[in-house]
Amino acid sequence: MSATAIGTTERATASYPPQTFGRVLHGEWIKFWSVRSTRWSLVALVVLGVGLTAMICASSADWLASGDADESPGSFVTWGMMLAQVTGVVLGAMVVTSEYGTGMIRSTLAAVPRRGRVLAAKAVVLTGVLLVAGTVTAFAGYLAGNFFLDRAGVGVPLDGDGVVRALFGNGLYLATLGLLTAAVGLLVRHTAAALSIVLGTVFVVGTMANLLPGTWGEWVSKLLPGNAGMTIATPVSFNPEALGPWTGFGVLVLETVVVLAAGWWALVRRDA
Amino acid sequence: MITARALTKTYGETTAVDGIDFTVRPGLVTGFLGPNGAGKSTTMRMVIGLDRPTAGEVRVNDHRYADTPAPLREVGALLEARSVHPGRSALDHLRWLAATNGIPRSRVDAVLEQVGLGAVAARRVGKFSLGMGQRLGIAAALLGDPPVIVLDEPVNGLDPEGIRWVRTLARELAAEGRTVMVSSHLMSEMALTADHLLVIGRGRILADCSMSDFISEHAASYVRVRSPQQVVLAETLQARGLAVTAYDGELRVDGRDAVTIGDTAAAAGLTLHELTVVSSSLEEAFMTLTADSVDYHATTGAAA
Repeated sequence: MSATAIGTTERATASYPPQTFGRVLHGEWIKFWSVRSTRWSLVALVVLGVGLTAMICASSADWLASGDADESPGSFVTWGMMLAQVTGVVLGAMVVTSEYGTGMIRSTLAAVPRRGRVLAAKAVVLTGVLLVAGTVTAFAGYLAGNFFLDRAGVGVPLDGDGVVRALFGNGLYLATLGLLTAAVGLLVRHTAAALSIVLGTVFVVGTMANLLPGTWGEWVSKLLPGNAGMTIATPVSFNPEALGPWTGFGVLVLETVVVLAAGWWALVRRDA
Repeated sequence: MITARALTKTYGETTAVDGIDFTVRPGLVTGFLGPNGAGKSTTMRMVIGLDRPTAGEVRVNDHRYADTPAPLREVGALLEARSVHPGRSALDHLRWLAATNGIPRSRVDAVLEQVGLGAVAARRVGKFSLGMGQRLGIAAALLGDPPVIVLDEPVNGLDPEGIRWVRTLARELAAEGRTVMVSSHLMSEMALTADHLLVIGRGRILADCSMSDFISEHAASYVRVRSPQQVVLAETLQARGLAVTAYDGELRVDGRDAVTIGDTAAAAGLTLHELTVVSSSLEEAFMTLTADSVDYHATTGAAA
């Protein structure tokens, strides 16, 4: 009985400002920048994206200028980004799977019990950063690579066919691929698994699918996320079979939306 | 106030929490006591919405935690395992938590000082000892100055000074009128901290009573008396109004008043061979209560 008596001295819950999406977004923004893996991934993005493009252009400029070249210089000014996309995949995975790996997800969902908001905030931070970083890196890579092509007389002008589209396209592609990886992360909740699935699909399955027989194999190859999405990120694709830049990107976006919906469902329904 | 009604959680074939009802009231420290695997952590995870109940529900201040407008302002929780990214500093961990709930930066510094981590705030959590990690978890629970505080095994990994600190803190928080729910698998710890006791075993509530009721009911003590004149002594003690039970070769007198027994015997000229106060500890009472509900008994000799 004494317990009940004491129990009546309930502490009043003050009226606090409600948790808005903006606050959740601010929290995710702090989280994103306060681990070292973010900075390392972005450094790797710039080093690979700019450095490799400059290297391949410097070493191929003379060949491209000669009559023997059977590739377009337009395929070379974004060359490094083909490998640099790995960093977008890594960042996309880490934003989700590092929380499951460390138990952080419990803190996150206790602080923000409306789980859809957590996902939306992560998606905005991740795609926003990758969009900017991917575009900036692509421009820097273009300027560095084109310097060598220009010297050999095979420069690709910025107002050339598809060049500006490809540079912004790198930002779009990287952001979407990162988001796709984050969505896979929500389903598998494991860093290595998420990385293996996405990198395996983009780099291994993507290259091997055209070994499948007939038009069936051709379509599988075209529709795989990497093959479909990458054409928007280069002025001239190495792959003549690929879908057009915007069609291909549309396919990647659609695939991302589907996996993201499954990831959202898993986040909202499953125990943390 | 935390209220559970027919709260149930099953994982496949296993029932972790088996339709329990309880109320955790404000102004008291409620000890949530049970052996490992009894369902304590699962219940606490359901309180803050991390796990979804299979059936029944648990409400905090009369609504589901997920419907709370300002979560950390309403419930602060320390969860069983580490729930922090080891690569982030303690300060950054609290900064992002504060940001999501619109808690001012000054409050972050205040709780860091309160838990004694002010000097190491900039250090990455991965470098923290178990005890420092617990302190950070408690800082996170206090961040929103919430009226309801849930602490899962808060003394884990703490040194004696830290254990005393948690005890005092829990009692202070309750004295301020907050609802404080503290889990432990150690009866001795609960005896020193809790006003009210919820004992759980195999997913069921085995006892829901005040700490003092639990002590008087379960931790009985008696005085063992041996005498060559047992029958006469028994009559003499009963005449003094003492409750005496005769066992083979000894008398057991309820209570712990050895002085009265000794004086009475001496006054009557009776010889005593033994006069011993026997207390059964709370730990024993808890063991007896949960004996049937322990999943993993240590066995000797048998191959696991």
